[in-house]
Amino acid sequence: MTRVAFFPGCLIPARHPPMEFAIRYCMRNLGVELVDLEGASCCPDPIYFKSKDKLSWLAVAARNLTLAEDLGLDVVTNCSGCTATLSESYHLLQDEQLRAKVNERLARIGREYRGTSRVRHIVAFVRDEVGYETIRESLVTPLDGLKIAIHYGCHLLKPSKIMQVDDPNNPSVLEKLVSALGAVPVRHRNWYLCCGKACQIGDIPTNMMHGLLGTVNDEQADILCMICPTCFGQFDHGQLKVMKQFDEEAYTPPIYYFQLLAFAQGVPYEELGIERHRLKPECLRRFTSVAAEERKVSTDGAYQEP
Amino acid sequence: MASGSCTNGDPVRVDFRFRRELAEKIEGNLASFCYQCGACVGDCPATTYGATFNPRELMLKVLYGLSDELMVTDSILWQCANCYNCHERCPQEVKPVEVIISMKNMLADRGIYPDAVRKVIETFEQTGRTTPLSPAVDRQRAKYGLSPLPPVPMEEIQKLIEPASIEGDEA
Repeated sequence: MTRVAFFPGCLIPARHPPMEFAIRYCMRNLGVELVDLEGASCCPDPIYFKSKDKLSWLAVAARNLTLAEDLGLDVVTNCSGCTATLSESYHLLQDEQLRAKVNERLARIGREYRGTSRVRHIVAFVRDEVGYETIRESLVTPLDGLKIAIHYGCHLLKPSKIMQVDDPNNPSVLEKLVSALGAVPVRHRNWYLCCGKACQIGDIPTNMMHGLLGTVNDEQADILCMICPTCFGQFDHGQLKVMKQFDEEAYTPPIYYFQLLAFAQGVPYEELGIERHRLKPECLRRFTSVAAEERKVSTDGAYQEP
Repeated sequence: MASGSCTNGDPVRVDFRFRRELAEKIEGNLASFCYQCGACVGDCPATTYGATFNPRELMLKVLYGLSDELMVTDSILWQCANCYNCHERCPQEVKPVEVIISMKNMLADRGIYPDAVRKVIETFEQTGRTTPLSPAVDRQRAKYGLSPLPPVPMEEIQKLIEPASIEGDEA
């Protein structure tokens, strides 16, 4: 079994537990052992705390990376924001002067950053270490013919020299991950656009979302799939807000990739945590899981292997 | 063109004090390499979907040190989408988004940032997380077979984020 340090961040564990459940479920099925990092904090986030003080931001990020260094493991992240912070920190800390400065801070708590643990977004990790074929083999309910619009989001791809995930001008990893489910990936015209969440003032985020959702809806896809929990929020309750503001009816229900994979691996629709979505991907109900009857949730809530 | 003292025809006085302060921030000095080509503008979603935001103009204001236009409440800097397109496109590796974040650090030093930003920062400084823990969160987690979230060792985080002057290090 491949072992990696798992850095779930804040948003997924606290606001979207079904996403974390899906990741843990899928990765076990794919033969990956996720090792939790004891004492981990927020990455810290690349929008808010980084805006206060980059040096403190870097010091806290470096501390998180040292937790994985202690275990001798690479870090796998499931949130594009965490990936942005930790990958950029790994990159910046290759500068000796900056590393010395950060290590002076870490010395306050008896730690030292060494730069021995790489940071990888979970989709890059799955692509490189697990492979699309293993995903195909893990499926119980292939999503044949499901039309899935793809949203990459910003921090998975850019800055490409630092993130090192895919070609930012013509990425393919999400299309291939979706194809591995048996589904048909659809790239909409504004695929490269930002979800707008980080803008703090003005109408920019709403206008941006409106532009993006327009081209998503043009494709008449069944579902909008993404791998960033922040983007998910924008496409779920954010999409409702935009529809209301612009008085429009069309929408595409969003879903986080690993919930889709968990469904295809046999988790019943009712157990995916969809009831918390504002816009529900009811179209999934047409795929009935043959494994659904065999699986039961035990009383303490832990999933049992069939 | 945005209004501003860089466009009104008067001689420009470069504010070097502002630029020295910015240069102290991590990657704050990169604007010095900007040759105003505008490659950052075409791909900027805040430019496309907003009325005034323009990363090339912002870098010009940085070069002139027009702090009066940048270091203000509700600064235009907060319209940046943090999408990193400008970082990707810049032929000079100016990383406009990083220069913008460095200027946000200067705004924070002056204690002026939007309430939404302040709120998230305070949550992090108090709990070590940007999304706080609660019994409701742990109940949700239990529903999906996930263990309760452990508290973050805050004494370590607080020591890390204390300014350098307190211990006199980082000279």
